[in-house]
Amino acid sequence: MANGTWTNRRARGNYQLPLAVVFVLAIIIVLLGKAQTTLFDRARAHVTDWMAPGLEVVHRPFDWVSGLWHDLGDAFSVHQDNLRLKEENARLRQWQTYAVTLQARVKRYQLLLHAVPDPALSSVLAHVIGRARRPFLETMILDAGKANGVKPGQAVIDTRGMIGRIFLAGEHTAWVILLSDLNSRIPVIIEPGHAQAILSGDNANAPALETLAQGAVVHEGDQVVSSGDGGILPPGLPIGTVIAAASGFRVALLADPAASQDVEIVDFKTPIEMPPAPTAKDLPVAAAGLPPAAPPPAAAGNQAAAPVPTLPQKPVAKPAAEPAQPPPSDTPSDDQ
Amino acid sequence: MERAIMGSRILASVIPVSLAILGVLIANLPVSFLGGIVPAPLLGLMPIYFWCLVRPDLMPPFWAFAVGILEDMLSGGPAGVWTLSFVVTYALVDRQRDAFAGLSGLGAILGFATAAAVACASAYWVEALYYWRLPPLAPVMGELAMSVVFYVPAAMFLGLVHRRLVGPLRSDF
Repeated sequence: MANGTWTNRRARGNYQLPLAVVFVLAIIIVLLGKAQTTLFDRARAHVTDWMAPGLEVVHRPFDWVSGLWHDLGDAFSVHQDNLRLKEENARLRQWQTYAVTLQARVKRYQLLLHAVPDPALSSVLAHVIGRARRPFLETMILDAGKANGVKPGQAVIDTRGMIGRIFLAGEHTAWVILLSDLNSRIPVIIEPGHAQAILSGDNANAPALETLAQGAVVHEGDQVVSSGDGGILPPGLPIGTVIAAASGFRVALLADPAASQDVEIVDFKTPIEMPPAPTAKDLPVAAAGLPPAAPPPAAAGNQAAAPVPTLPQKPVAKPAAEPAQPPPSDTPSDDQ
Repeated sequence: MERAIMGSRILASVIPVSLAILGVLIANLPVSFLGGIVPAPLLGLMPIYFWCLVRPDLMPPFWAFAVGILEDMLSGGPAGVWTLSFVVTYALVDRQRDAFAGLSGLGAILGFATAAAVACASAYWVEALYYWRLPPLAPVMGELAMSVVFYVPAAMFLGLVHRRLVGPLRSDF
């Protein structure tokens, strides 16, 4: 090795003072980084923006090799895959019919109850130009940034489920903190029990479920989705499946960040899209051919003493003047 | 003649830090080899350790500090973690230079392993203090192991560069 072959006859400077100076500077940087994270992040975003074209070029051959590797693997299982997909397709058709029926029913209920609709989610499609797994950070770099409307905190999903969230947005690039990362903490709901928990990354492939609510019952195989608490992430994003581990419950993620090439950055902060106001024929009373109930007469003189409780202002349908129409034939009945 | 000697001296003094910067850039390329199973080695630390031993005048503490900042910038972690750990490692090697420089063969690898272990341990504890909780140990151990494995070819390469480029460019070699 190199060390022993050279005699140590080099001129040595006295590095005590320079070492002390850089040591103090390093501690200042640590403290500054803790107090002013944006300062360092801004510099990092600029560096990534500057390197983005180079990263794309470097990443391309790796994408190509990775794709080739997958294609080669698939070539050996074409027949089995075909049989499996046919069976899966038949099963999914049944589920599609069921989903359409349920969707129509939910829409009807929402109209009847004047339910606040789920926010409309717009998204930005981005390509992965880099991914890194360091001891204290698991991240990927995307080729979309502030110029595309990307902001820190937004959820990143692929076709299977949630991958992570944006933690640093440059002008044309963004860094994603993966769900498995040491610093990732997101509120989740475990279905069907509707138990609330915190999904906590610790650099393992399957993040841990922490802070389970008291009395919450969780089983292996339960589905984990984002809860939307705090208003940072949209609720209901699929995340994974509960698995049992020695130290408690963990979540097998649906998404595979190592294989994702194109992802969606979900913008949750767009204005809420209101549903159309219900019409008379959407109301069950009118649909049944009955006249709507008249409002209760206000007792003269006692209005000030006993105010009538009022509901929040909602769009109210006018009473039907014409005979009520029967429900459309494609609307499912309750016994479906 | 004087200008040529001066130019070659400057070039020789730039090569060590350039290789350290190149090491940081390569190690932090956001490209996942083998699906991210294998962590990237501390390529930036290797030239720092090497020239801190054989020619400390070509790798003063400031360069260890600067390379650490670059490592922090590109690795995406909290600011100052690797900067501080590189400086601490440099201080250790600087104080124990005679002991480290006397090592050869497997001993030289163990010498670097000690320095890398100090760097990783420093980074681990700074990270723990930063977030006030203990990070998992396995990823740091993986990085340490990869750094030691990669040091074997890296030391050969650095030795070659030192003999062929840095040495002849310095009249006092």
